[in-house]
Amino acid sequence: MVVDEQVQQYILENFLFSTDRSLLGPEDSFLERGLIDSTGMLEVILYLEETFGIQVADEEMIPANLDSVRRIAEYVHRKLS
Amino acid sequence: MLLARNEARTEAGPFRDEPDAMNATLPADAPASLVDALRAVATQHGQRPALIQGPRRVSYATLWSDIVRLANAFVALGIEPGERIALLLDNSPAYVTAWYAALKAGAVVVPLNTAQRGRELARCLAHCGARLLVAAAGHPEVAALAGANPQQRQVLLAPDARPAPAVPAGALAWDALLASAATQDTGPVVSAAQPAAILYTSGTTGAPRGVTLSHRNLVTNTRAILAYLPLDEHDIGGCVLPFYYAYGNSVLHTHLTAGAALVLENSLTYPQLVLETLVRERVTGLFGVPSTFALLLQRVDFAAYDLTALRHVTQAGGAMPPALASRLAAALPGAEIYLMYGQTEATARITWLPPGRRADKPGSVGIAVAGLELQIRDEHDQPVPPGTPGEVCVRGDSVMLGYWHDGTATARVLRDGWLHTGDVGTLDADGFLTLTGRRSDFIKTGAHRVSPVEIEQVIAELPGVVECAVAGVTDETLGETIKAFVVLAPDATLDERRVQAHCRAELATYKVPKAVAFVSELPKTGSGKVRRFLLGVERTP
Repeated sequence: MVVDEQVQQYILENFLFSTDRSLLGPEDSFLERGLIDSTGMLEVILYLEETFGIQVADEEMIPANLDSVRRIAEYVHRKLS
Repeated sequence: MLLARNEARTEAGPFRDEPDAMNATLPADAPASLVDALRAVATQHGQRPALIQGPRRVSYATLWSDIVRLANAFVALGIEPGERIALLLDNSPAYVTAWYAALKAGAVVVPLNTAQRGRELARCLAHCGARLLVAAAGHPEVAALAGANPQQRQVLLAPDARPAPAVPAGALAWDALLASAATQDTGPVVSAAQPAAILYTSGTTGAPRGVTLSHRNLVTNTRAILAYLPLDEHDIGGCVLPFYYAYGNSVLHTHLTAGAALVLENSLTYPQLVLETLVRERVTGLFGVPSTFALLLQRVDFAAYDLTALRHVTQAGGAMPPALASRLAAALPGAEIYLMYGQTEATARITWLPPGRRADKPGSVGIAVAGLELQIRDEHDQPVPPGTPGEVCVRGDSVMLGYWHDGTATARVLRDGWLHTGDVGTLDADGFLTLTGRRSDFIKTGAHRVSPVEIEQVIAELPGVVECAVAGVTDETLGETIKAFVVLAPDATLDERRVQAHCRAELATYKVPKAVAFVSELPKTGSGKVRRFLLGVERTP
């Protein structure tokens, strides 16, 4: 499974409690939709670190890297490349 | 008690004639309302910044001008003194403008929790009978709330950075309304005893409970905080607390009364961005609940940021473990740490611990603020000697008028002139309070007070649920997290995700259980009442 599908599935299952992919578009802003709060973001980071073997540095915890499925997927790709 | 006796009078001023000696000691020099205090600041410091949000800076002169216009617009729309104006707005200049304009127009302002879902919001709107809803144009529930509107409530849409869904038919537009409003500083004269605000909190029954605060409550509690927290017009506060909660509400009004500036933030999701804002704006004060600081300490290296301007940090919203307070103090050596205790029913603040006493009174939340008396009472409602645990009771000017349209609940907590907080604690011989527990079943998760009953009612709607109970489970960061215990019918196939998804659809995100356990039975008393405290302790893996 490619990164964006994996991330989408994780967000759906853990924050929307669903497997219906139509509920979360790749560009949907987690902040604007009120999907992920501050503790939820810590869970997301833990998931990314454990699943993809990356380290999310403090300064990388910004919306440009983490506020949608696509942004996370692109961020993970950059970290892995 | 007060509301129950007075409900037969007009809603505009049901408390005005109440002979309540404890609620009539506002000093002669105090303003009658927060509006008067703000008018004085705007006159004296008009060009100073009042609100800062991102690149936007709103001076006191501009804020006051907008408040006057919007108050006049409210009156022109036919809002009568005592009628309710609800706000569905995150921390923003629009929120502050609408709050003060509502008060200035003599209305009762009702700030709603923007994290809540349509059903929760609709119940609050119906309960308070709001004539007008001022909502952020991009709030996801606006269209539904405007559509299902049997009370013919008017809707005013405020500017919002989020994309707006379809504009509800008949909705008023913020800019157009302000542009056409009169600019004279006139309006009804409000009395200190009139209801000014209704803040909704979780009730033990799951129904919305509207803490009704008078102008006097708000003014006296604001002054009591300013008596110990040294704020002036040179201060710049950083507020990540939502204004619709009592703590955030008090941070807003203390800053505006002192002529200080307030930097508005709505989220701690990206703590580094919050820290960058604190540095950029040279923030002098930071305000949070224990989970705010636990999160910051977990994710941020304070030493990497220039926080030399920061001179005080305040904490309320649940007792902060002494170890966390010490870590915070070590991370911010230049700032005084104020540990405090409060309750919405007492407007906001009840006690404060002088920063210099943190070492010799570890674990204490301090002494009563000016104008409030503290007592610890036993199960027979009698005061107990120092050191003996009992229910924390409070008396004084900051104690609410009562719960809106809920005389029974009011009578339960306001007895003999004392607010019975439901919190358990001890007072030492020096008058320092230490909290040791809670009598009620509320779950305190992060900044939120959550009623287990409300969640249980939603879970019980699912087919296959025989009964369920919800309890708080100790959590290092949030204080408590929510766990549901569900008894299923023999043939039911419900799983954890389905329970969470249903809660997610009907309730604010922070009320969704983090875990769901399926159990064969719930622990109960002899009379059949669920013993929730056993769930939180014994059944937690």
